[in-house]
Amino acid sequence: MSETVAPGRARRTLPNGVWGMLIFVLTEGTLFGSLLGTYFYLRFNSPQWPPDGIEAPSVALPLALTGALVLSAVPVVLAALAAHRGRRGAAMALVSAALVVQGGYLAWQIVSFLHDLDSFSPSATAYGSIYFTLLAADHLHVALGILFSLWVVVRLAVGLNPYRLVTVQAVALYWVVVALLTVLVTLTQVSPS
Amino acid sequence: MSALDAQRRVRIERLERVWTERPGVFGWLTTTDHKRIGILYFFTALAFFAAGGIESLLMRTQLIGPDQRLLSPEAYNEVFTMHGITMIFLFVIPMTTGAFGNYLLPLMIGARDMAFPRMNALSYWIYVASGLFLYTGLALGHAPDAGWFNYVPLAGRQFSPGAGIDFYCLGIIFNSIASTLSAANFIVTMFKLRAPGMSLNRMPLFCYAFLAVSFALVFALPPLTVATGLLELDRRLGFSFYEITRGGEPLLWQHLFWIFGHPEVYIIILPAFGIATSIIPTFAHRKMVAFPLVALAEILVAFLGFGVWVHHMFATGLPTVTTIYFAAASLIIVIPSGIQLFAWITTIVTGTPDFKTPLLYIIGFIVLFIIGGLSGVMFAAIPFDQQTTDTYFVVAHFHFVIFGAAVFPILGGIFYWFPKVTGRMYHERAGQLSFWLTFIGTMTTFFPMHIVGLLGMPRRQYTYEPGLGWSALNLIETLGAYVLAAGLLVMLGNLVISFRRGAPAGNDPWHGDTLEWSTTSPPPPYNYAVIPTVSSPYAMWDTEDREADQRRLAEGRLTLERGHETPATTTLDAELDAILDMPSDSPWPILLAAAVAVVFVMLLLGHLTTAIVFAGLALAVLAAWQWDEPETRESIS
Repeated sequence: MSETVAPGRARRTLPNGVWGMLIFVLTEGTLFGSLLGTYFYLRFNSPQWPPDGIEAPSVALPLALTGALVLSAVPVVLAALAAHRGRRGAAMALVSAALVVQGGYLAWQIVSFLHDLDSFSPSATAYGSIYFTLLAADHLHVALGILFSLWVVVRLAVGLNPYRLVTVQAVALYWVVVALLTVLVTLTQVSPS
Repeated sequence: MSALDAQRRVRIERLERVWTERPGVFGWLTTTDHKRIGILYFFTALAFFAAGGIESLLMRTQLIGPDQRLLSPEAYNEVFTMHGITMIFLFVIPMTTGAFGNYLLPLMIGARDMAFPRMNALSYWIYVASGLFLYTGLALGHAPDAGWFNYVPLAGRQFSPGAGIDFYCLGIIFNSIASTLSAANFIVTMFKLRAPGMSLNRMPLFCYAFLAVSFALVFALPPLTVATGLLELDRRLGFSFYEITRGGEPLLWQHLFWIFGHPEVYIIILPAFGIATSIIPTFAHRKMVAFPLVALAEILVAFLGFGVWVHHMFATGLPTVTTIYFAAASLIIVIPSGIQLFAWITTIVTGTPDFKTPLLYIIGFIVLFIIGGLSGVMFAAIPFDQQTTDTYFVVAHFHFVIFGAAVFPILGGIFYWFPKVTGRMYHERAGQLSFWLTFIGTMTTFFPMHIVGLLGMPRRQYTYEPGLGWSALNLIETLGAYVLAAGLLVMLGNLVISFRRGAPAGNDPWHGDTLEWSTTSPPPPYNYAVIPTVSSPYAMWDTEDREADQRRLAEGRLTLERGHETPATTTLDAELDAILDMPSDSPWPILLAAAVAVVFVMLLLGHLTTAIVFAGLALAVLAAWQWDEPETRESIS
């Protein structure tokens, strides 16, 4: 849907698309809140966390990867600002640059996820169940974000209009929230160490 | 004057051309008109109400006397589970938010559509598919049978190896998508599309109730999705969330479920409060008493509802400190509920009430809500709760709240807005008859349940032995259920006949207080030929504003007749900010819902690869949907 501004003054309301994304990320935030609550509920009901036979998670690598993902949200936000000023090329370049980092992040995370699956089972203990579920949920959100960003690039390649500007803004909001959720997930995941 | 009339007619004809959708079945399948979607929701929810009603009659017939064998114990378990799921997820929520909310909210705020018209259609199709999904389980003999709150370990793989619980988990997640989409749509619609001048403090109380419900849905459904998702992981992949021998915790289910489940109670009754606050001023012929307090109370109830879930778990052995905190929190909810009750009663008593059918239903609702509320407060007393939990006393309480306090306003609301939706009047005497039958039926069905509960009869029992002192009361309850059903059938007959033969209603048969009464009955596809401007919450009683609308229509100011246009206004003060060009009818919502439905069916069947393929297809449909951009307009009129 396009939105026409009354002439002679700036818009004072957020576009519907950004409102919609705002509510979507509220539900996603609540979803992660419930998963994180589950993590700590199970943890505080366990005598040992992680249980015997499972190594405590490594700290440095997950934190470094999360740092990279958080930084990659910055160019997406800048892309939204560039698109707002009508700078289509800059917006595309910024989203693409972020995509490289995000794609690398996800690939690395998938490899490390598969590696973890080899070392301990998601079904043998409640620790394994919540560990893998939490990470999988987070990675799924990053994957979705990558699809969103690819879509932005495809649409901007055709041209920039008010409708697509809203898409860029909504996707930028999504990435900021996913970065924040990833920080919370990572801190929870490494907390036993 | 005739020249002005001619100008008005030209503008109206242009709007008709722009907004009229495709005719026939295809038009209904691709519609994005909030009124048509509301009607679709209404009939679908009504069908599920009938299914849930038949299930309840089966149970009551079984319990008419001791040692009856109409249903086997297993079938009885399935029937009470499906009754609960149907009434909550497939009837009340879709009826209130889907049918009433969709049809009325844009009209009440003076908008031409919802903020996301295509997403609105999507939420309807997903709702239908999720309902069919759940009922397919029943048809195939795999209905869920662990009760609507589906406690583990009973619902775990060990004790429920069949597919019934999988139908439950996946069906509930599927259904939640629809409710979340609706809630998001309502929030944005109310925050952005209100008519110029309708600042937040001038928004009708009906809308406040729906705003509160929408936020409650947004925050309550994710914990339910997590609870059912984790259970599905336990059941399918052998995960250990609820499995105590491997470090899991069965009580985790109860926490997650009731973090959703208690707000859910308010999600069910708040729209009914909104309907009550629409009907009362109209028939009491005065403005609502304590408008700001009632608005705040509606929001406060939804907010506080998130802090009381443990009162469903008083009998699970939690620490006393925890239970006392939640008992106190549960008592606090009495305050906003009490504010609303006193405001309704005072408005009626200090007005000049006209006891037409809709108001009768609302008075019935007030009586039933007081009874259900009082028994509800009793559960905040922990020792009392521990004695009565899982008895028929609880069944009595929540049916007074859910049937009495939620369904009565729905029935009253159907009578109230019937003239607006159909353009015809219902039969008043038959309407009053149906009220009395329904009210007496409700009382006789549910009141004796308090007593059998205190006498020790547990809920969810498929039969009972003679000589326990329960037989006579159960017989009365069953007879009451038939009277109740008769009342509903009289209502149905009244509405069906009135739809064909009722007297023409005109725009405003009740001298109603909100904007929907200013347009024709039924409203045109564009709702309003000119966007109304508003200066109080009782927009229809501000006759000068409505006359000004007619002048602006002739002059062509705020008629927005060049496309699917509706104004956007600022969130707090509702100052005109932009003109939105809304999308029109589209095939993508129903196609997306179909793709998502296949994903859920494949997950149920365990075909993970096919599910992923269809998830990809769903994304492709979403891309096509996005590709389809409306034309951009350069300036506003």
